[in-house]
Amino acid sequence: MKNRLRPYYPLLPVFAAYLVLFLVGRNVTGMWQLAATLVFYCALGQAFNIFLGMTGYVDFGYVAFLGIGTYGMATAITGLAGYPQLGLGIVAIGFILAIVMATLLSMAVGAVALRLRGAYFAIATIGVNEGFRYLIEGANLWNGSSGMIFTAQLNEILGRDLSSRIMTFWADVMVLFIAAAAAVVTLLYMKSKIGYALTALREDEDAAKVMGINVTKYKIIAFITSASFAGTVGAASWALKTPYVFPPEVFEIHYTIEAIIIVMLGGAGTMLGPVVGALIYGISKYYLSIFLPGFQLFIFALVIIFIIVMFPEGVVGVIKGKTRNTAIAPYIM
Amino acid sequence: MLTVQALESGYGAMQVLWHPELEIEKGSITSLLGPNGAGKSTLLETILGSVRPWGGQVLYENRDITFLSSHRKVEMGLALVPEGKHLFPNMTVYENLLMGAYLKKAYEHREESLDIVYTLFPRLKERSRQMAGLLSGGEQQMTTIGRALMTKPRLMMLDEPSQGLAPKLAAEVFETIEKLKSDIGLTILLVEQNADASLGAADYAYIMHEGKIKASGTPDEIKASREIREAFLGV
Repeated sequence: MKNRLRPYYPLLPVFAAYLVLFLVGRNVTGMWQLAATLVFYCALGQAFNIFLGMTGYVDFGYVAFLGIGTYGMATAITGLAGYPQLGLGIVAIGFILAIVMATLLSMAVGAVALRLRGAYFAIATIGVNEGFRYLIEGANLWNGSSGMIFTAQLNEILGRDLSSRIMTFWADVMVLFIAAAAAVVTLLYMKSKIGYALTALREDEDAAKVMGINVTKYKIIAFITSASFAGTVGAASWALKTPYVFPPEVFEIHYTIEAIIIVMLGGAGTMLGPVVGALIYGISKYYLSIFLPGFQLFIFALVIIFIIVMFPEGVVGVIKGKTRNTAIAPYIM
Repeated sequence: MLTVQALESGYGAMQVLWHPELEIEKGSITSLLGPNGAGKSTLLETILGSVRPWGGQVLYENRDITFLSSHRKVEMGLALVPEGKHLFPNMTVYENLLMGAYLKKAYEHREESLDIVYTLFPRLKERSRQMAGLLSGGEQQMTTIGRALMTKPRLMMLDEPSQGLAPKLAAEVFETIEKLKSDIGLTILLVEQNADASLGAADYAYIMHEGKIKASGTPDEIKASREIREAFLGV
């Protein structure tokens, strides 16, 4: 009986970290915003890890999936504002739309870009993000560059009280649940044939091919899963928390870079890595901007170079290596 | 067992294969020889489908498999041991072997396949818990061959299996290949730079040059023809 639960042990430290974040944010005065930021980074890292960590492919256009998710939620709220009787149903529809739109975009991008390997893939995806942003602005989709502001519609649908509770509290809790769900999916993938296929592909794609592994299929599975989680993160953390969307903000490549840092820092392809990476990155960014304002990016560059040279497998990668064959090994993955 | 007809393929705009024709008998070792850049590796990869064929035909057990995807071909019993030990370095030897049994049918037979591999390479059994990246060159080559065996192939294509190995280890590789034929009943297509050793093990040989088959014959015929040896093998 005990052994049947053992494969799920690696979820414990992840969930424990999320619970601590929630409790600290909730109970320590003035900490909710920091906790919410950290939760956002955790979700971002956990979602991105499903693709970057499991396949080893770096997607420089990842933020586009958060952006399209934000637009998905915005579309649902503005489009259905005339049906306030749907209430929270509209938020649910917004999430579904975010997932569907992120999935469609990832299929379109993946069909082209996933034929490329390594650096070529990375370069191609930089273009996707910028291209998509200019498409929205140029073709005047979703109001083009003037963006969408839908605070009023959200108030109308849910009432002023509930909608402000959502903006200040529930949106962040939703992001926390998304992060937890992404962790569960990561574990399920790792424990299944998908995980073995992706590990093989990450280690040596040519060898994986001659083992009879349909590498394209598994790359696309990881890409779509990761993108649809990103869509929900955008929908919750951007559209619901701050009910407006402007193309330059949601297609800001800066977020992709942060996601890459978080995953690499914590340990690409590990379960716990994105959480550790998000905490280290988020907390140090927060305090550096207080104590050394203006220098945080410079210091970060140094820290990251140091970590990549010293721990190429990330913090959790190192811990995993050190704790192999010890009692805590089953919890670290 | 395998017939290649007028195959064409290449990379980008550059055509590498110019209609080579090949016929491989079931249960034989066929050696494919030729200078660097002749297109030998490309031919193997095109047969498996990891390089996409442009035209021509590949018949395997009388079925046209030319344009099937490589994972379908592996499922049908084709295996390729790629050039330059492509192992999964952060997995143990055992995990590498098990990856070979990824496909459903191969997975169901993984225990017996593992027995076969460990009988053939007792050394791998001793090393099974070791990370593949830490093995010696010879052991790595054993692991790649063993891993290919785990896919339950009927036809195994080996690309330069003795490359970079000390002469003694290279000789062991050729012994292994002969055992694959005699003990396990595999059909082998062998690409090698080491013409002498390769001809020594082969039942039939093809000489490839500039993407075409230039000559073929039994090893004795090839060895006897001074013309072939001087023009293509440099021996």
